[in-house]
Amino acid sequence: MVDFATILAGFGDAFTLFNLAFVLFGVVLGQFVGAVPGIGPIMAMAIAIPFTFGLDPLPAIAFLVGVNKGGLVGGAVPAVLMNTPGTPDAAATAMDGYPLAKQGKPLKATKMALFSSITGDTFSDIVLITVSAPLAVLALKMGPIEVVALMIFAFSILAGLTGNSLTKGIIAAGLGLLVASVGQDPENFTPRLIFGYWDVFDGLPLPSVAIGMLAISEILHRMSEAHGNVQSAIVAKDTGNPDDRRVTWLEYWSCRYTMLRGATIGTILGALPGIGSTAAAFMSYAMTKASSKDPGSFGKGNIQGIAASESANSAVVGSNLIPLLTLGIPGSVGAALIISAFMIHGMQPGPLLFENQGRLVYGLFGAMIMANFVNLWVGQVGLRVWVKVVSAPESIIFASAILLCIVGVAMATSGLFGVAIMLIFAVLGYLMTSFGYSLVIFIIAFFLGPRFEKSIAQSLALTNGDLTQVLKSPVAVALLVLSVISVVWFLRKNAQAEQG
Amino acid sequence: MAVSADRASGAFFLLFGLAMYFYVNPVYIETVDGGNLAPNKVPNIVSIIVAVCGAFLTLKPTAHQVRNPILMVKTGLYVGLLVAGIYAMSWFGFEYVAPILALAIMWMIGERRPLWLGLGVVGMPVLIWFLVTQVLERALP
Repeated sequence: MVDFATILAGFGDAFTLFNLAFVLFGVVLGQFVGAVPGIGPIMAMAIAIPFTFGLDPLPAIAFLVGVNKGGLVGGAVPAVLMNTPGTPDAAATAMDGYPLAKQGKPLKATKMALFSSITGDTFSDIVLITVSAPLAVLALKMGPIEVVALMIFAFSILAGLTGNSLTKGIIAAGLGLLVASVGQDPENFTPRLIFGYWDVFDGLPLPSVAIGMLAISEILHRMSEAHGNVQSAIVAKDTGNPDDRRVTWLEYWSCRYTMLRGATIGTILGALPGIGSTAAAFMSYAMTKASSKDPGSFGKGNIQGIAASESANSAVVGSNLIPLLTLGIPGSVGAALIISAFMIHGMQPGPLLFENQGRLVYGLFGAMIMANFVNLWVGQVGLRVWVKVVSAPESIIFASAILLCIVGVAMATSGLFGVAIMLIFAVLGYLMTSFGYSLVIFIIAFFLGPRFEKSIAQSLALTNGDLTQVLKSPVAVALLVLSVISVVWFLRKNAQAEQG
Repeated sequence: MAVSADRASGAFFLLFGLAMYFYVNPVYIETVDGGNLAPNKVPNIVSIIVAVCGAFLTLKPTAHQVRNPILMVKTGLYVGLLVAGIYAMSWFGFEYVAPILALAIMWMIGERRPLWLGLGVVGMPVLIWFLVTQVLERALP
């Protein structure tokens, strides 16, 4: 267990002007890209990771945390003003935000989104800070057999929850594992599937794969759709009434139960791999509407709808880190990107992280808290500016993003070979999403692949290849049984959906 | 039996999994004597799973509709442009190719306004050059 001095030292490391500057820069960048429909915080993080190589671990991770948190706030701006969510999880926000903007209250809607987003995020961060260390102690008791069983369980959940087909989810996971096996075999260190390209002997570079699949493939989608259409559609008229430009304390307080419910839903769903913030936002919105005395007002500009959606989708960010920090398993693409940043900066996520680098982990927690305050402050000042951002043409946004991706990957992989790999994975990502295969599970499987294989090898060594030894681990048996149950459950759910 | 998006992708993954198992893995993965887990074990198992799931998807496709083919052709044009741009960068360097690549992308999207074109073609490459070479002190590709 981490001692109190380490916790204090970690928070002390975080609360410096130097780190504050990086958090501030990250939040501003995150809110900016979140406000641009089509980019979003995931793409921004993917692009930003290579640019953090020269930094110390804490400012680098603080910066990325700022981008992630800022992006969620920024994502609400185009949802409210254009009915075009900057991020998928802001789609539920648009349901009441856009009607409110059309009534001449765009600033009230965006400010309500900001306040509820910060509330949900802070709630989730508190849960993360209090439960992750005890959970890591429990996770330390897990050996390689339990880790393999846990990963199989995570894959079964992810395959079922992401996308509309379990079969496609399994194929996406399989492709991720196959791509992860390129390079040296983790047990014998012999070359595998490198096709004569010794540059990939250490495996395919994560920045090339992640940026290609998450950023460039999405840009390709957006460019082909924007082809010949460079105009931005924006609704930002104002009634002129000062009360319509702000959220009063009474209005905020009237949403306290809605935000608490949203934050709880977001925190619980965020801690489970694969569900994500979009599901949390819609679930919170639906529950708020169902419990409202005036459900008819939802969809017509009710601030409770905005509070429900934003508090839930932002609460996912903090709790997403619970499986990542305690087990080393990323629950979402955002968490997978953060984990890759951890590894680039010498941190090995998993139960030992708290023991080996406890100070850095609590520094990260400090940066997260700081990012919430900065997010609030930047949001208050910046919302008027982001309104202008959404009117920037997509042509310059996409051209700039492509140049940044090329430079970022070239820096991360020391040359254009990594850029060529990025382009290959961009095309693969484009085709996969076009045919309905989940990129989330592909990226997570790609990331977990080497550890999965290593854990299998360790398990076989421990059991001398006797698989019946698995039965001696109740945790592993329970996880494998749960995996089978979840696969059967998802198959039945898919069958029912087809019949329905 | 009409060819749907899922049937097409399922058939592809069936063939892909079989090709990996019977040809690619045996040829491109070295065999090792001893050890707990042979280098080809996981790729072989995964290849079989992909092939089986591909076959299943071919037989029981979902109602997924593939994207408009015209959009996919347009995407192909953008990919071609990026391939040409990256190849040109390997010869002439980022400084010379980036403005032309940015101009080509913006022009293809349909941007014709001089101010935005100027920002994309001159402003952004200069900003990236400044950030990478002057602030981060790294080399451009």
